[in-house]
Parts: sequence; structure tokens; C-alpha cells
Amino acid sequence: MTKVLVPTVCPYCGAGCGFFVAVERERAVGIEYMPDHPVGEGALCSKGNASLEILHHQERLTSPLKRKGDGWAKMTWDEAIGLVARGIGEAIREDGPDKVAFLASSKCTNEENYLIQKLARLLGTPHIDNCARLCHAPSVVGLNRSLGAAGMTNPIPDVANSRCIFIIGSNLAENHPVISRWVHRAKDAGAVVIVADPRATPTSWMADIFLQLTPGTDVALLNGIAHQIIKEGLMDREYIAERTRGFEEFEESIREFTPEKAAEITGVPAEEIIRAARAYASSPASTILYSMGITQHTTGTENVQAVSNLALITGQIGRPGTGVMPLRGQNNVQGACDMGALAEFYPGYRRADDPGTIEFFSAAWEAPALPTSPGLTATEMIGAAASGDIRAMYIVGEDPANSDPSSLSVKSALEALDFLVVQDIFMTATAQAADVVLPAAAWAEKEGSFTNTERRVQWSSKAVEPPGSALPDLEIICMVARSLGLDFDYPDAASVLAEINRTVPQYAGITRERLAKEGGLVWPCPSCDHPGTPILHSSGFRLADGRAYIVPVPYRPAAEGQSPEYPFLLTTGRIALHHNAGSMTRRSPSLIGRAPDLFVEINPADAEKLGIGDGDLVDVSTERGVAQAAARLTEGMKRGVVFMPFHFPGTNILTTEAADPEARIPEFKVSACRIARRN
Amino acid sequence: MAFYVDIRRCIGCRSCEVACERVHGGRGHVQVHFVGDSASVPLFCHHCEEASCATACSFGALFKEGERTAFDVEKCTGCGLCSLACPFGVVWTDKIAHKCDLCDGRPEPTCVATCPADALSTDFDLLARRARSRAARAAAQGGRR
Repeated sequence: MTKVLVPTVCPYCGAGCGFFVAVERERAVGIEYMPDHPVGEGALCSKGNASLEILHHQERLTSPLKRKGDGWAKMTWDEAIGLVARGIGEAIREDGPDKVAFLASSKCTNEENYLIQKLARLLGTPHIDNCARLCHAPSVVGLNRSLGAAGMTNPIPDVANSRCIFIIGSNLAENHPVISRWVHRAKDAGAVVIVADPRATPTSWMADIFLQLTPGTDVALLNGIAHQIIKEGLMDREYIAERTRGFEEFEESIREFTPEKAAEITGVPAEEIIRAARAYASSPASTILYSMGITQHTTGTENVQAVSNLALITGQIGRPGTGVMPLRGQNNVQGACDMGALAEFYPGYRRADDPGTIEFFSAAWEAPALPTSPGLTATEMIGAAASGDIRAMYIVGEDPANSDPSSLSVKSALEALDFLVVQDIFMTATAQAADVVLPAAAWAEKEGSFTNTERRVQWSSKAVEPPGSALPDLEIICMVARSLGLDFDYPDAASVLAEINRTVPQYAGITRERLAKEGGLVWPCPSCDHPGTPILHSSGFRLADGRAYIVPVPYRPAAEGQSPEYPFLLTTGRIALHHNAGSMTRRSPSLIGRAPDLFVEINPADAEKLGIGDGDLVDVSTERGVAQAAARLTEGMKRGVVFMPFHFPGTNILTTEAADPEARIPEFKVSACRIARRN
Repeated sequence: MAFYVDIRRCIGCRSCEVACERVHGGRGHVQVHFVGDSASVPLFCHHCEEASCATACSFGALFKEGERTAFDVEKCTGCGLCSLACPFGVVWTDKIAHKCDLCDGRPEPTCVATCPADALSTDFDLLARRARSRAARAAAQGGRR
């Protein structure tokens, strides 16, 4: 029997590794690596290696389902689409289109996200968002403001050209494992690695300088570093004068922010802050990689701004080996944002409140009545569902019941909706609350393009058929749209990409034909003969006068602090063997077998005071609720801080809804909690 | 052909374990061990020049074949002497013996190809060069790195 090798893009993190699915008798029988792939060079992490386990998984949704008493009844697609059209249509007719909200998916293709946001906006609702809100919304807001573009500035392999790598709020060794090969390549050539994190992680194993800061004090650390750079005259005066504005106000704003003051707030010794400042500012090429340790704060946008300030005052941007690098968490969270599945942006980051945007899309989509204001964000939608301001929701490939903060109240909000449709590959906790559940195809069961964290757009091909009567999201969205009276005539993903080429300038030259090449194309790619733009900002910024904006950021403490009742700070994050809300990895035998349970990491000295031993079951409580976890004692944890991975349902019961006032991202990284051994 | 690990690079992601298991029908031959909270190291068959597992095997099931320590499943009785003899604890017995076969038939061992951190390699000279340049840098800086 002949084996066919089908090129696909890994369905997990934003690194965008490619691999071949080996297909035999219409079944995915194996993985073959892709040694020429630009990001991974053939490497795959544990999740990538286990990805086929979800394709033929016995718990896959194989038929449309409707709620029947306490259980579910199967139905045909005709009936299902009829129910969805009636449910959404009635809500629009009776309550108005702005009572309906859509969540697109950072797991779906660009084409699917484009169609989901188009469907929402053509129906007249501004409420469209995706889970980027929970990971990198502050990067979108902050980097658009300071640099004029919201993506990683340099490609992942370019990290190897760096001579100083500053990793802050990212455990990339576990969450984007292939990036560590490029960090090590730079280290081989003599690069200095600085890691800032409240916990010691496999990423900090790579560090020459480890800054173990208290959660929520990133602005203080970054301002302290900037203060020292300016004090020692290590900034790039020429770059500041030619390419930026705002330096004077910034300099003034951190005049008092000495490393000693930063040390007091962050708990990092002043001399380490000084070492980091010198290493970062004086190297010929320094890069900053960051992730959700920067963004998931009430000060998320300010944290991002403080990161880009460092790069701007030292001119460490726009050249090989430099840059500001937000590492995105999902295989297409960058693409979902690019496609306008965001409350405040139409496709191509055109502002929803800009009349020019509305004019452009009214013409392009032949739609006279598009919503003209930003909609509710993903987390605001849940609040609006609870208060009755949103009556119906259509959720594609997301699991807010597990991934949103204070998840007990999320579940009751979803149950309060008049009508909820969930489209997914498994029966998630969110789907459990739905009226209608639609079975979707997984990544290798459909085709389309995905955009990784470095803005690389890659085509992923269809390897096998979806199970049962499951269908690609693209087909489902088109059926729903047509049943609601819209003209969604897209026979395949390529036809949607052709429309994206016309409406999203960054993607104008990224055609289906050109994506046939392994490795894809990096946006912005404005025309069909353009090679793509791996490095942004090499000749100025797409802002007023071509200058980047250095924004003063005062330090504000996190929303919650330690108190006698809740004496610990809980911070959350990810581990190598699981992904996000875990709907795929917790069902993947080789992953869940290796990391089966929720745990909480605690410093042994803190544990001893509480009479907690390694492996003891403990209750972790916050004002929102209680979760049970196994204690894991580790010297790598800062005193007074505990850590839980958010891949298990317990963790987000505990987290706070307090959010960044601008980007509306919840502060997953800081919740006051207490811990007690279970009897 | 044997392969080597650069433990400075291992990030403990356990990709080698999952990949090895995937291509060997669910039974892997690599185990990642964690050294406290500060390092991790994958343990696997070193294909020793003088393989104690092969010496211990009374049935000729484990034997040297060029550089590798080969295994003939037909001859294995599952007695477990090889597991006792292996100084690294990387020959397992579960009905029959299980150990690294260097992914016979593939261009390179799957764990080497998949390692995200580039910590595994079949190129001894490459790893030796890396180690020497690390040592030289440490000496130049007068520090421990």
C-alpha cells in the first residue's frame, strides 16, 4: 500500500512548525519530519509528535447535536443549520443584532476567521473577538501604538544572530520548544541570555542572568533597566533623534526609577538589574522575547510599552538579531487577529471606529449597514451574557468555560444565554452549555492558511477526511451564512484567500499559488512579486513622520496583592506537555499519561510553614473559588508565590477578572490566594 | 552510528520520549530524567563498545553489529539479565527486552531528528566542539560558564 505524505502545519503553538502526515488507506498513520522547514528544521516538540492522537480519537464529535433533556440527540446537518439560523435569526429580529456575539478561533485557518468575522459584521453585530484577548491583546494595542505594527519584528531563526537575548515573561523552552534551538545557537556564538520570570523554568536554565521578579512588577524592572541605560549613556542617541519621539518625557518619567528603587519593588537585586541593563544596551544586537508573563496583567499594555521602550532607546530594532518579539500561543492567533476577528479591528488592523474602514468594507462586501464601532471583547461578552445584554452566542473552537478567568461564573453566564452554538472537535466544557453543538474538522482534515507568530503565512493541506459527518469550519460557516440569507459562495479556502488578497493589504501578495512553497511567506507582502518582509521597521515606522513612539509608563501594582487572608500570589502558565485549555492534550494519551494532574508549585520553606509535603493534596482558594491540586515543592519558586498550569479546569476557577483597562486582558498572572493541606 | 546528548541544551520537554514511543508502536526507549529543578537529561542506550547487556545475554539476542548493539527478538527469552547488566538502566524487560535500535531503516534516530533544542546529535565532533568552546569561554571569563 502506498503512503502519501501530506504537508501540514502543527495545530499547537504559534511557532508554526511544519510536518508531513503520512496517510495510508485514508488514515493518518504517521508523522514525517520536514528538515528544510525554516522554523523547526524538522524538529517537533512532544505535542507535535502526539498530534495525530486527536485525529482518530474516539471522543471526537461526529454528528451535529441538540440538547435533549439532560443529554444530547443527534441530528442531520439540515436540521442543525435550520436550528442555528432560527436561533441566531430570532435573537437578531427580537432583540437586535447587537444582542448576538461571535467568538472566532485562533485554531482555525485565516480563511475561516475571515469568514466568521465577515458573517458577524454582515449580520450587523460588532461583537466579534477571539482568544487573542486572553493572550496578546496588549501586544496588539501597545505595539500598534508604539511601533505601528503588532507582530514579532524579526523571524524566529534570526534569534541566532542576536548577541544578547532578553526573555521576559516567557517560558519558551516549554511553550515554544523549538525556539530554544535558536537561543542555543546564539549562545554558541557567545550571546548573553537574560531571563526574567518569577519561577525558575527550563528557560531560565539557559540564562546567564536570571531576574526572579515578583509577579506584576515588570514595569518596575523594565523602567529600572531603562534608567540605568540612560544613566550610563548606553542609549543610542542617534537612533532616538532620527527614529523616535517622546524620549524627553520618557527620560523625565523614569528619572527617579533607580535600580535600587526597582529592586525594592521587584525583589531583584539592584546589581543584577544593572548587569542586565549593560548586557542588553551594549551588545551589537539585542532582542527581547516576551509572552504572557508580560501581557496577562492589568498593566499588560504598559508592560508591552515598557518592553518596546527598551528596544527604542537602544536602537535594538529593525536589524538582524534585534527586535521586539511577542511569542504567540496558538497556531493561528496571529492570523485570527490579522483577519479582523477582533472587537476593535476590521481585517488588516483597520480601526472599527474609523469611517474610512467602514467605507472600504461597505464597498468591498457590498454591505451598506456595517457596524461602525468597536464591539465587546471576548471577556466582556461573557459579562454581557450574564447581564442579559448578549442573548445569543456563536462560539467556534474556543473553550471560555475553561480558559476565561473566574470560570465558575463563566459557566453560569453561558447557561443564561437564550441560544448558544458551539462548533468544535470535542465536547468541551463550553459545548456542554450549548443548545446546538456542531462537529468540526481538525487541522489535518481541512486545508487553508495559518499565520505563525513571526507573521509567516503557511498553507496546510488536507490529509484525511473528518470523522463521521464532521465538516470543515469553512463549510459550516458558509452554510449558516446562506441560511441567514447571506451570499457566502466560497467553494474552497483558496477562493476566500483570493478575497483576503483584495481586502487585507498586508496579505495582498500572499496567494494560494505562492503558498505552495514550503515555508510560506511573511507579511507584509503587498504585491505578487514582493518577497515578504521578515524584518519589520528596518526603514522607519508606519506612524506619524515614520517615527516610533516612546511612551512613558508609570508603575502601577497588580490589582491583587498579598493580604492576611490570602497571603500568597498565584501565578499561572503552561507546561511542555499540555496546551492551553487542554481539550486536545488532555485527550492525548502520550501527553496526559506523562502529566496527568493539576499541581501547584510552592517554595519548600513556604510549604514547611503550612505543613505541606511534596505530593500532598492541597486546596488553593481565592475570592472566586477553591481548586484542588497536588503540591510540588521546588526551590525554583519565589517565596510567597505559587504557580499552577492552566491546562486543567481547576486553575481558572481561581483567577481574577480584573483586566487591563485598555486591552481588556484579564490578570491571569496575579491572584491573591491561600493554601491549605486537605485532610 | 551512535548518538550523543548535550545536556546543556536539554530542556526537559520529553519530545524524544513521545517521538520514540510513536515510531516503536507505543513502547519507547528513551527516558528523560530531571536533576532537581535545574537540569534534565534523556537516558538511552549508548551502544557501548563493550556492551554488558550483550555479554550478559546467554542466547545471543543482544550482540555487537558494527558500532551498534543489535537485538534479535527471535532469540530473546525475556530472562531480564540484560536489564540487570546495563549500567545505565536503559534496557527494559517486559516479556522481552526493549532497547534503542537507532531507528533502523530511518536516516537518523527519530529522537535526534525531533529534538526541539538540538540537544541530541549523531555528530560527536560537533558536541565536542561545543563543549570545548564553552570551556574556552569560561576560562576567558574566569567564571564558571
